[in-house]
Amino acid sequence: MKPPYKAIASLRLTVVLLSLSMVLVFFGTLAQVETGIWKTQKDYFESFIVVWSYPEIWAGYDKLFWLLIPMPGGYTIGGLLLLNLSVAFLTRFKAKWSKLGIHAIHIGLITLIISELLTDILAVESKMAIDEQGRSNYSFSYQENELTLIDRSHPEHDILHNIPVKLLKPGKTVEVPDSPLRIRTVAYYPNAQLMRGQGMVESPATQGAGVKMNIRVNPQPMDYSDNDVNAATAYIEVLGPEESLGTWLVSNLIDERFPPQMVSLGDQSWEIALRFKRYYHPFEVELIDFTYDRYPGTEIPFNFSSEVVVYPFDSDRNTQALIYMNHPLRHAGLTFYQASFSEDERTTILQVVRNPGWLLPYISVLLMGFGMCYQFALHFGKFLGKRTAAS
Amino acid sequence: MKKVIYSLVALLVLLIGWRHFKPIGDSSAFDRSAFAELPVQVGGRIKPLDSVARNALLVLASRQKVETIDGRTLSPIEWFMDVTMRPEVADTHPVFKIEFPDDLGIAGLAQPGERYYAFNDLLPHLADIQRLHQQIEPEPKKRQPYEQQLDDLSRGLTLYHKLMHALHAPGDGDHLNTISAQYADYSALIRPGLQALRQQQKGEEYDALLLKRFIAYGENYLSLSQTAHLRLVPPPPPADLLVDWKNIGLELLDATQGNGISPYVHDYAKLTEAYRGGDSDRFNETVTVMQARFAADYPDDIGRVHFELSFNNAQIFPFAMQLYVLVFFIVCIAWLRWPAELGRAAFWVLLLAFILHSYGLVARMYIQGRPPVTNLYSSAVFVGWGAVLLGAFLERFFKNGIGAGMAALVGFATLIIAHHLAMSGDTLEMMRAVLDSNFWLATHVIIITFGYSAMFFAGALAIVFILKGLLDKSFDQDSARSLSAMVYGITCFAALFSLVGTILGGIWGDQSWGRFWGWDPKENGALMIVLMCAIYLHARWGGVFQERGLMGLAICGNIVTAWSWFGTNLLGVGLHSYGFTDSGFKWMALFILTQLLFIALGALPWKYWRSAFGRNRYERKRILLARAS
Repeated sequence: MKPPYKAIASLRLTVVLLSLSMVLVFFGTLAQVETGIWKTQKDYFESFIVVWSYPEIWAGYDKLFWLLIPMPGGYTIGGLLLLNLSVAFLTRFKAKWSKLGIHAIHIGLITLIISELLTDILAVESKMAIDEQGRSNYSFSYQENELTLIDRSHPEHDILHNIPVKLLKPGKTVEVPDSPLRIRTVAYYPNAQLMRGQGMVESPATQGAGVKMNIRVNPQPMDYSDNDVNAATAYIEVLGPEESLGTWLVSNLIDERFPPQMVSLGDQSWEIALRFKRYYHPFEVELIDFTYDRYPGTEIPFNFSSEVVVYPFDSDRNTQALIYMNHPLRHAGLTFYQASFSEDERTTILQVVRNPGWLLPYISVLLMGFGMCYQFALHFGKFLGKRTAAS
Repeated sequence: MKKVIYSLVALLVLLIGWRHFKPIGDSSAFDRSAFAELPVQVGGRIKPLDSVARNALLVLASRQKVETIDGRTLSPIEWFMDVTMRPEVADTHPVFKIEFPDDLGIAGLAQPGERYYAFNDLLPHLADIQRLHQQIEPEPKKRQPYEQQLDDLSRGLTLYHKLMHALHAPGDGDHLNTISAQYADYSALIRPGLQALRQQQKGEEYDALLLKRFIAYGENYLSLSQTAHLRLVPPPPPADLLVDWKNIGLELLDATQGNGISPYVHDYAKLTEAYRGGDSDRFNETVTVMQARFAADYPDDIGRVHFELSFNNAQIFPFAMQLYVLVFFIVCIAWLRWPAELGRAAFWVLLLAFILHSYGLVARMYIQGRPPVTNLYSSAVFVGWGAVLLGAFLERFFKNGIGAGMAALVGFATLIIAHHLAMSGDTLEMMRAVLDSNFWLATHVIIITFGYSAMFFAGALAIVFILKGLLDKSFDQDSARSLSAMVYGITCFAALFSLVGTILGGIWGDQSWGRFWGWDPKENGALMIVLMCAIYLHARWGGVFQERGLMGLAICGNIVTAWSWFGTNLLGVGLHSYGFTDSGFKWMALFILTQLLFIALGALPWKYWRSAFGRNRYERKRILLARAS
């Protein structure tokens, strides 16, 4: 009987795993039609197992709705490939010049798989919206929300108490850290429509905008398409040390455009809001000018660019930069990309990415590119030599 | 014998060349080619009117010529001149292509066996077309074929209508014969007309009749400015390439601001009157003046416009396509008789076709000022080019006709694909800002696309292997080994280019969106090609599959590449989903089916393989079985 490590290191296993990954990538592409890129990525490539189901919007769904295809997810295949590769490397490694390229490719591949994993775990993507002549010191997530209570009583700074939405379980009570308050979630909807109600609306809300504007909440399924955002909405009861202070309707749709909703206890007060998770930065970005050029005589965009100045809080050294397509600004471990803009072309939206592992893919691809070219040149040289010798 | 064969092939090439390039008997006294070269700003670029005429015809009729009811063949520019200057004649030209007129559900429209309809044929049914068009599914992806046909027809009618307004406000003969006089009348009216308008607004006394005439002109030109399709009027010099040109209607409206009417507007009026009146001297004189004026104002662009016209006229790709067909036939005959001579001849014709193909590629780069691959159309042209390059190399080394034959086949097929992709109109459109980076276009896109070439070429060779193995008795162990080595070599090529190209794409992604990899459909497609290559290579190295299994994998490569190239555009999601044609799905499915058929053929038991190679395998298997029992 063969030792077990041989089976683990076998090329047959490699071929099987590569075939499985091709199947996964294929279905992970198909699934995007229905669930969008973000969710598909989570379901297929950042998972151990996934089940593909026949999309509802395809022809013949009524006959094929039962079609489910289970397959190993990205983590499973990636992990097994890594194992296969590492064991093969350890057991079959030969230090020969003719194998240099092969080794480089495979080390590069190991680095790449690891870097993808690191990116999954460590990278944070958010957006920063700045009006012309305006400034901003925070960026916001466009997927994740948080419940926040803001104490604006200090002249110098505000104190934020943030609670991630995953703690908002109906009926659960959560202490608001460093404050005398507790909150109890009455209801939480990951996505909802808010509408002005006709007549009296039955609503748990007893305070704030929900009551004043007579809002009716219409829960919706999560929407994963790339263009739409989910309107996370909740009814939150705020509890003081002795009694309930009331129930508020909060939603990321009730944002800065509306008057703030206030929670008061004695002479203290907090602003309560459910909003996209914010990342505050130790600097401010000012938008000097946003430009949007089109090709003459068309609506085809030719260039978008944002002229910005970065003001760090702890120094006087400002950075000026022009951010445009393919030319991001790298600052303080963050990278700013031109992502979008408002309809009136006066507000820019920058994509802000923190990815500590961003250099790894470069190293990996250098190795792989080198290995490929090396190996190819070697073989091609041999081939030409043989041909010349033959003729 | 040698000489006879070479001369025969040379003669065939000359014959094809003559048929292709023979001057069209344009005996007209009107200088149409000068008119065809007049500039227009479309899609952010200055191009000759000829390109507009050709693209419009492609959209309407799916071809670049018009066959009139009296049996004449019109060039695109002749048709364009009729549409704009003699609309009453143009309305009788059958240019609206309706593939299945019976399916439209409009009584009395369809004529048996007729796919091309003139505007006059459609005229009685316009209300029906409009009514039915309002009922079709708004989401293009969910439309039935007849709904799509209706939509195409409706858009075609709109395009036709807009073209008719391109040079001036349309009208009856009396109107079109006196445009110059109308412009003069309007020019003279501007000042008093504006004054009357001001007086009216202030409540003073004014010339009501004059104001009414002035306002009638204004309304007419306002609606013209909204309908006119072409930006024909350059701003006064000095030339600035980033300024919008105006359409005729807008220029006429803006004349009220006191800048006068551009000489281009007057000249188009003169051209129309001269063409209608049969006055070729006046027509040619006016065209010459216009050309000289444009050359003086835009000295940097006149060369490009002129070149584009001659490139349009040369129709390089159709010519190369015919040569590829010739190469394929020569190779087929070479497999039966005179392999050495015909093989050489095929190689040289292939080289000629390749040079033409390359010229077309470079010409497009010059016209657009971009690296060769900017959209689906140009990727098809490039994939073919790359495959022919690889094939020519193989032919040079192996001299067995396989390289040349498959190069010709892939070259021809991709040019056919390109030809059909061109039906949507302009193939030299401008790039969206996201993709606007010559550096990455020149590296990532080119390398990836060359990877497609190599994949298709390897797949084509694998198909040859299976067909030869099944049918060709002379196909023995050595030929099998050498063909298998070819597939291996080309797949190595494909692996190299796909991997490097994908990696460069990752770096581009990191530079522009902050993520090295985003699982976007096109990225996934590229990854699938890399994986396919990796599967093939590891299966070969590990001895997981024998020859025919490997050939099956290489043919799988065709499917994966086609998916990566077009399938992702079918899905219509992601950053790369630019431009897609509706009939693509059908062709894609058909292609995949044929490839699966080849794989199935390759999996037939050895006893059905008629080649020496196959029989040898069959014997070996029998001996093994006999031993085992």
